[in-house]
Amino acid sequence: MILLAVGCSYKTTPVEVRERFAINEDRLARAHDALTARLGCEAVILSTCNRVELYLGQVLNQLPAGARLLTVEEVGTLFAEFHGLPARDVWPHLYAHQNADAVRHLFRVAASLDSLIVGEGQIAGQVKKAYELAQRHAGAGPLLHALFRHARQVARRVRTETGIAHGHISVSSVAVDYVRQVFEHFSDKTVLVIGAGKMGELTLRHLRQLRLKKILVTNRSPDKAIAVAQGCGGEAVPWDRLDELLTRADIVLSTTGAPQPIMTLDRYHKIAAQRTKPVVILDIAVPRDFDPRIHDGDRTCLFNIDDLQRVRDRTLTDRLRYVPAAEGIVEHEAQQFLTDWARRRHGQVIARLTQDFEEKRLEVTKDLFARLNGKLTDDDRKYIEGAFRLLQNRFLNGPISALKEASHAEPEDARGHTLLDALRKLFRL
Amino acid sequence: MPPIKFFCFAASYAVAFALELLHQFWPRRSVRAVSLGFGFAGLLAQTLFLMEKQPALSWQYGLLLFLAWILAVFYLIGSLHHVRIAWGVFVLPLVLSLIGLGRAFDLGDNTPRFRIEELLSMDDAWGRIHGGLLFFAAVGVCVAFLASLMYLFQARRLRNKTLPTAGFRLLSLERLEAMNRRAITFAFPLLTIGVLIGAVLIYQTADPRVGWTDPRVLSTLILLVAFAVMFYIRYGLHLAGRQVALWTIVTFALFVVCLLLPHAVRQGGVE
Repeated sequence: MILLAVGCSYKTTPVEVRERFAINEDRLARAHDALTARLGCEAVILSTCNRVELYLGQVLNQLPAGARLLTVEEVGTLFAEFHGLPARDVWPHLYAHQNADAVRHLFRVAASLDSLIVGEGQIAGQVKKAYELAQRHAGAGPLLHALFRHARQVARRVRTETGIAHGHISVSSVAVDYVRQVFEHFSDKTVLVIGAGKMGELTLRHLRQLRLKKILVTNRSPDKAIAVAQGCGGEAVPWDRLDELLTRADIVLSTTGAPQPIMTLDRYHKIAAQRTKPVVILDIAVPRDFDPRIHDGDRTCLFNIDDLQRVRDRTLTDRLRYVPAAEGIVEHEAQQFLTDWARRRHGQVIARLTQDFEEKRLEVTKDLFARLNGKLTDDDRKYIEGAFRLLQNRFLNGPISALKEASHAEPEDARGHTLLDALRKLFRL
Repeated sequence: MPPIKFFCFAASYAVAFALELLHQFWPRRSVRAVSLGFGFAGLLAQTLFLMEKQPALSWQYGLLLFLAWILAVFYLIGSLHHVRIAWGVFVLPLVLSLIGLGRAFDLGDNTPRFRIEELLSMDDAWGRIHGGLLFFAAVGVCVAFLASLMYLFQARRLRNKTLPTAGFRLLSLERLEAMNRRAITFAFPLLTIGVLIGAVLIYQTADPRVGWTDPRVLSTLILLVAFAVMFYIRYGLHLAGRQVALWTIVTFALFVVCLLLPHAVRQGGVE
């Protein structure tokens, strides 16, 4: 087997270069054709905003006569040609992993250990999609099929057996997590959006997924309030009704650009006295819009941008604690894949070897029994058959044991000087 | 089949509780599954135990064991329904406490037994209705207590702005408040009617030992007053959240006193 992973990622390449290297779905068919036709290999192309990687494989004993073996140089040159760039501009950004390292790399990528945000869930889906697209373009064969199927299992194991995917890392998702700790049902909830900050739009988008009853938008500038309300299917309300709205709202999203807090402790106390229901206030404005002393964790839950970012940072730190365990799973699974792959191929040779000897033994004993016909008792026949079978087993024991041992070792090297090839030649399999 | 011992179900619930705790720090499906397995085993053992012993509900021993049995069912249903919630961590200690408390009232062979023929006969029907209503009110009090405990725990997490994924996961404040409200709404009328029937029965009885100064009567009246105050806080003053949760816990404490006081007084030789 020859397996190569060649590409670039956010670790090695700035975004403006990655943009030029990206292979979108429109160009994917052409890219697959180029790889499979010119290099004679299986190919899967993984192109995301953070990485562009080619996974290429060749199964040595299935190569057509005269086929060339894959090399990193050839792949790199083809990659540059495909993008219409000089090779010297492309090479500095590329990295390459071969065989066992390529397996490990893909498993790390799929398990989100190589991601910009460790533990993010998108990459597993992107790896799966890349493989499905390769299948559609006839790029994937038995090697990459086995490899990518195993990569999916690794990603799932890492997610379920470690805490690497726990928690949310975007501020808006964290905000929704807090809202869910206070409220259970949202179809009867009203959201009040104060201001029109960019960050608020993102959070509001997350909140809208909860299927709220009503969205009210207020702003010092009525035009801005109307614009935001139109964008989110809400209702614009005059700024001077703010206090009244705060007595009714269940969730408040505040993103004004006001230089001073718009809600002091005293002003809020008057509002809180009129409230009977709890309220969650997401104050993601800088400077803050609400006095932090209003938070009591019971009837008023106030979370400002620092709280949300603290959760995000803590989640990221927590995730990093699980990286060694996840790396352990990746390493174990990579070894498992290599062993399984070797065993699968060795198993075919062992089966053919055994079958070949079995046929020869039967041929020989058949001739022997024909010559000695009538001179042997049933016991004699059984004894002779057993002796030949024993001889066959003892004869095959050495090569089969050596093959089984080899299946636990590193995969064969690229030139094919392997035990497997030697056995094929020696026994004419 | 060998007789089911008290230890069988108590130990099963204790192991289930230990595993529930372990699951909070080491979240594995296998741990959760084994924990539920012990919970089911405990419930089965307790069911067989209750079927064999048939303790009467009129005596604290039977009352507490039946109450624990209902809460064990509550634990299992809740655990299956709220897979990610630290449900057992809160419910099982109460189940174990009720079982432990029940053990204190075990009179061995002298423990009053539940007789189906008595239940079917019309003799003392009002007495049994009175007991049944108070028993179901007790279930409501226990559920309200659990909801309040979880509410206060969740509110504390929110007050400290604890990471949503860190520590024990609980239901939302809204859900816990609704659970508390429903349990109280369920328990209060039952308790009130039960107490009223009890009052009529006391008025009619000729037994001088059972009067208005009986500790059971007094503690039950105090419990009713506590409930009434809680109702007023909830629906009269429109307060909710922490105040109601705290008052529910006070009510539950009074309920425990109601159960223990007559026994303590009897032990002290007042009767």
